[in-house]
Amino acid sequence: MTTTAPLDDITESMLEGPAPGRRPRGTLIGLGVGVVVLFAGLAVPYVITDTYRMSLLLDATILSLMALGIGFLARHLGQISLGHGAFFGVAAYGVGVATTNWGWSPTAAVGFAVLAGTAISLVMGVLVVRASGFGFLMLTLALSQALYSLSVQTSARPLTGAHDGKLLSYDREMTFLGLTQADVMNPGLFWPFAWIALTACAMVLWLVGRSPFGTTLEGIRENEERMRFSGYDTFLPRLTAFVLSGAVASLGGALFAINAGYVSPEILGFTTAGDSLIAALIGGFGMLAGPVLGTFLFVYAQANFNFGGNLHLFTGIALIVVLVFMPGGITGAFQKLWRRVRRSRR
Amino acid sequence: MTIFEGRGLTVKYGAVVALEDVDIALEPGVVHGVIGPNGAGKSTFIDALSGRKRPSSGRVLLNGGEITRRSVRWRRGNGISRSFQRTSVFGSMTVGEQLEMVARKNDEPDLDGILGTLGLDEIRDRVCSEIAYGTQRSVDLAIALIGGPRVVLLDEPCAGLVADESVRMLQHVRDLCKERDVAALLVEHDVDGVFRTCDVITVLDLGKVLATGDPAQVRADEKVIRAYLGSAA
Repeated sequence: MTTTAPLDDITESMLEGPAPGRRPRGTLIGLGVGVVVLFAGLAVPYVITDTYRMSLLLDATILSLMALGIGFLARHLGQISLGHGAFFGVAAYGVGVATTNWGWSPTAAVGFAVLAGTAISLVMGVLVVRASGFGFLMLTLALSQALYSLSVQTSARPLTGAHDGKLLSYDREMTFLGLTQADVMNPGLFWPFAWIALTACAMVLWLVGRSPFGTTLEGIRENEERMRFSGYDTFLPRLTAFVLSGAVASLGGALFAINAGYVSPEILGFTTAGDSLIAALIGGFGMLAGPVLGTFLFVYAQANFNFGGNLHLFTGIALIVVLVFMPGGITGAFQKLWRRVRRSRR
Repeated sequence: MTIFEGRGLTVKYGAVVALEDVDIALEPGVVHGVIGPNGAGKSTFIDALSGRKRPSSGRVLLNGGEITRRSVRWRRGNGISRSFQRTSVFGSMTVGEQLEMVARKNDEPDLDGILGTLGLDEIRDRVCSEIAYGTQRSVDLAIALIGGPRVVLLDEPCAGLVADESVRMLQHVRDLCKERDVAALLVEHDVDGVFRTCDVITVLDLGKVLATGDPAQVRADEKVIRAYLGSAA
C-alpha cells in the first residue's frame, strides 16, 4: 500500500522510468497533468503577443516532435538515430508534393505526408533495427543521406525542386483545418495545431512507455538475448517502436512544411537530424520531456547567438559542457538533484 | 524415457573443433551433470543444445522430433529454457518487474511459488542491478524456470558464488528438478557440487565425451581419473 502523496507518486514514476501497468493511479495523474499542460499551452499566443517570439516558440514546438521521436528510441531501446531527418523531411516534401503537384487540400496533404514519412520509417526500420549502437547510428545516417541525395537530383526537380527547394502553393479556398495559407504562416494562429500535436504525441509515447509493451522494450534494451531466450520476439517490438517514433517525426515534418510554406533540402540532410539529436542530448533522455526542453533551448540559443558565423562553435561548447558536467542532460541533472533531496529527507 | 536428446553434436569454429560427436539424453526428474576442464567444450555444448550456436553437424531432438534448426524463441515456447554462465538479467528493472514480464510470455501460474523457493520474494521491488551478485544468479535461474519448462539447461549456475551460496544453489536446482519433474542439464565447474547433486554425469574433455554414468561409475572411471580428476579423487 503506497502512502506517498499524489505528486510524489507521479514525479517518482517519471524519474524512475517506465513502471508498466503497476500504478494505474500514477497513469491517471500523469494524463491529467498532460491534459492541463495541453490546455494551458493553448493560452500562449494570448500571453506572448510579439510575433517574432511566438514564431520561435512555434518552431521549437514543431522541431520538438522530431526530438521527441529520437528521445523515445534512445530512452526505451537505447538506440541513437541520425535518420529522423529523413522522416521529418519526407513528410515535409510529402505536403509540398500533395498540395502543389497534385492539388490536394493541405489537410489531406498532411495526412498523406504523415503516412509517407511513417512508411519510410517502416522501410528503414526493417533494415536497421537489428543493428545496435554504432551500427545503428551509421545505418540511419547513411540511409537518410541517401534520401537527401535523391531529393537534390535534377531528375527529382519536378517533385522536390532539387537544390532550390519547394515552394508550397494551393488554392485560396483550400484551408488547413480552417486556416488559409496566410493564416498558417501566422504563428499565433498555427500554434494550437503544433502544440496539441506535441502534447498529444508526448502523452501517447508516455502511455506506451508505461504499458506492457514498454516493459518489453525495456527488456530488449537491457538484454536482447535473454529476451529471446525468454520466448520474446525482439524484432517486431523494436520495429514498432522505430515506426512509432518515425511517425511522430513525420507529423513534425508535415506541420513544418504547412507552416513554413517552403521546404528546402537541408531538412532532409544530416544537420537537421544532428541538431535535433544535439538538442535531445542537451535536454536528456532520462525523461520524455528532456528532448523537448532541449529543443526549446536550442532554438532560443540559435536565435540569440547566431552572430559572426560562430553558431556551431557555441553549439559545440554547449554540448561539451553538458556531456562533461551533466551526462544525463539537463533533465538528468534535475533527476539526480531530486533523488539527493529525497534521500536526505529520509 | 528420454525427452531431450543431442546426437552426434559437432561444433567447429573455423578449423578448431570445439565439440566432436557428443551424445546426450535427458530424462524428466533427472539432473544430468556435465563436467570437464576449461576448454572441454561445456559452454559450446549448452549453446548447441539451446540453439544459441548452430551445430556443424549432429541433431537435437525433443520428444523424438528434430529441432536442431528451431529458433531459441521456439524452443522456449516448447518447454526448453536455459540460464547463462555470465549472469544474464535485466539490470534496470526490479526483480518483480522482470519476472512478471517473463511470466506474461510463458504463462506461469505460480510466480510467487518460484519467488518463494528461490528466496526472492523479499527483494521483489529492488532494482536488479543493485542487488548482490549471488542473488542475481537466483534471478537468472528464476527467469529460466518460469512457465514450467520441461527441459532446463543450466550453464554454471554457481559461477562466482561463494561456497555456501553454491551449495544452496545446487540444492535448489535438485529440489526444483525433482518437484517439477524437469529434465535438467547442469554444466558446472564445481566438481564436488556436481557429484553431490547429479543423478547422471557426463565428462567432457577436449570436446569429446570421456565417460557417462552415475556418479560412482564416473568417479571410478580410469580415463576420467587420468584426464581430469587426478589422484585426489
